[in-house]
Amino acid sequence: MTSSQLFVLASLVVSLHTLGLIILIFTNMILLILAFMLFFMLWKGTHEKNYDRYRLISGLLIRRAVFYDDQIDPETGIPGTKKAKRLMINKIFRKLFTEELISAKKNIAGMAAENLKYLYHQLKLESFALKKLNRRRWHTKAKAIQELTLMDMRELKDDLFVYTNNKNEYVRMEAQVAVVQFNGFEGLRFLDSITYAISEWQQIKLLHKLSNLPPVHIDISGWLKSSNTSVVVFALKLARNYHGFEMHDVILTCLDHANPQVRLQAIHCLGEIYNDQTSIHLISRFWREDLRHQLAIIRALQNIGSEKDNIFLSTLLGNDDYDLKLNAARALASSGLKGLALLVEYNDSDLVLNDIITQVKGELAA
Amino acid sequence: MKILVAEDDDLMLKMLEFRLKKDGHEVIVTHDGREAMDKIDELLPDLVITDIMMPYLSGLEIIGAVKTKYPGTMPVIIISGMGQESVVLEAFKLGADDFITKPFSPNELSVRVKRFEKSVFT
Repeated sequence: MTSSQLFVLASLVVSLHTLGLIILIFTNMILLILAFMLFFMLWKGTHEKNYDRYRLISGLLIRRAVFYDDQIDPETGIPGTKKAKRLMINKIFRKLFTEELISAKKNIAGMAAENLKYLYHQLKLESFALKKLNRRRWHTKAKAIQELTLMDMRELKDDLFVYTNNKNEYVRMEAQVAVVQFNGFEGLRFLDSITYAISEWQQIKLLHKLSNLPPVHIDISGWLKSSNTSVVVFALKLARNYHGFEMHDVILTCLDHANPQVRLQAIHCLGEIYNDQTSIHLISRFWREDLRHQLAIIRALQNIGSEKDNIFLSTLLGNDDYDLKLNAARALASSGLKGLALLVEYNDSDLVLNDIITQVKGELAA
Repeated sequence: MKILVAEDDDLMLKMLEFRLKKDGHEVIVTHDGREAMDKIDELLPDLVITDIMMPYLSGLEIIGAVKTKYPGTMPVIIISGMGQESVVLEAFKLGADDFITKPFSPNELSVRVKRFEKSVFT
């Protein structure tokens, strides 16, 4: 054999060997993938079977609690929970059960809801929620606080209070709602020390929570002087909603606050909490304010104005702004008979103003 | 009574079914509005209990359909978390016979259903 023939033969052998190796590698890879898929499917099947079993147990337990009509014995609690207690160490079951329990609690009221709360406590689920409060992730903390609030764990109100000034907005919000739910108006004491702003939405949520409670006298004068402007705004809303007439003079000082939002809220508030001098204070500040605040003042005067304000109001009938003119006309009409007469007799070449006056007369007639 | 329940929350549906069966009623369960209407047309229940927010057809649409197809013969109770005045008024305007807002007491539901039991059998 020549060297070139030998070389070709050798190359062929090497190529076949390499091909064989490649085929072997690919075959092994395919077998590995198949094995992995088989294992995964087996695992998934087992997991789903367990999950279905957990859902069944969870649903049965919850229904048992909801429809348990007898007096609960503190020694034994709601019967049939031994298996559930053992399963509580299983994270998947615990998560599923807690979610379903909370979902049921949201939809159920009365004795059934009390039983669900009892079940939560009986299975010591609050201890798991409390552990979550020490986690680093904010959403875990917030969810834990929400859970404890929904399950009405009032005995933990002091544990939750510390979170009302947490650096994370969502943790703060949940904690603030919790303390108000558990303590009512007394829960608002977090306003004494909070350093973060309370958002508009959070203020709405808190006011909504409070609206379900019987009104209680609380001293809000401190909050009206807070360095946290959102606390001042919230306190003004409280004063307005709960007719804090004794706060009138303090609210007046808010008309000179540096923050425009505070001033605006103070104007709204004084539209409900007023005496015979309030309109004078509002009018004296009218020309310092922007259009938004001016409109708010005029709208307040519609409610609290009297005939002594007519001269001021009638000057606004010649203003360039349509809204100001319209609201001034309304304020005049509601100030008394003299104001109404002034409006009716008002004669101007301004067609827009005449339309406004016609509209206001129509509103009064209706 | 034969009662049809329409509710997309599985847990709530099972609870309602359990409560109503405990009271001796025959219960038909459905998970969405379309299934509910199909079963209503097929089985002609004595009473319909429905949520508002459901897939395919809302509870309000179900009221409208039931009151048009079966006027005066099939009372409808709404159970919903949407307790705003506008929603309640809309439901009654469409012909709902009762409205229960969530969270509700199962005992209360039981008593409210009993009222219709009497009217079905008189």
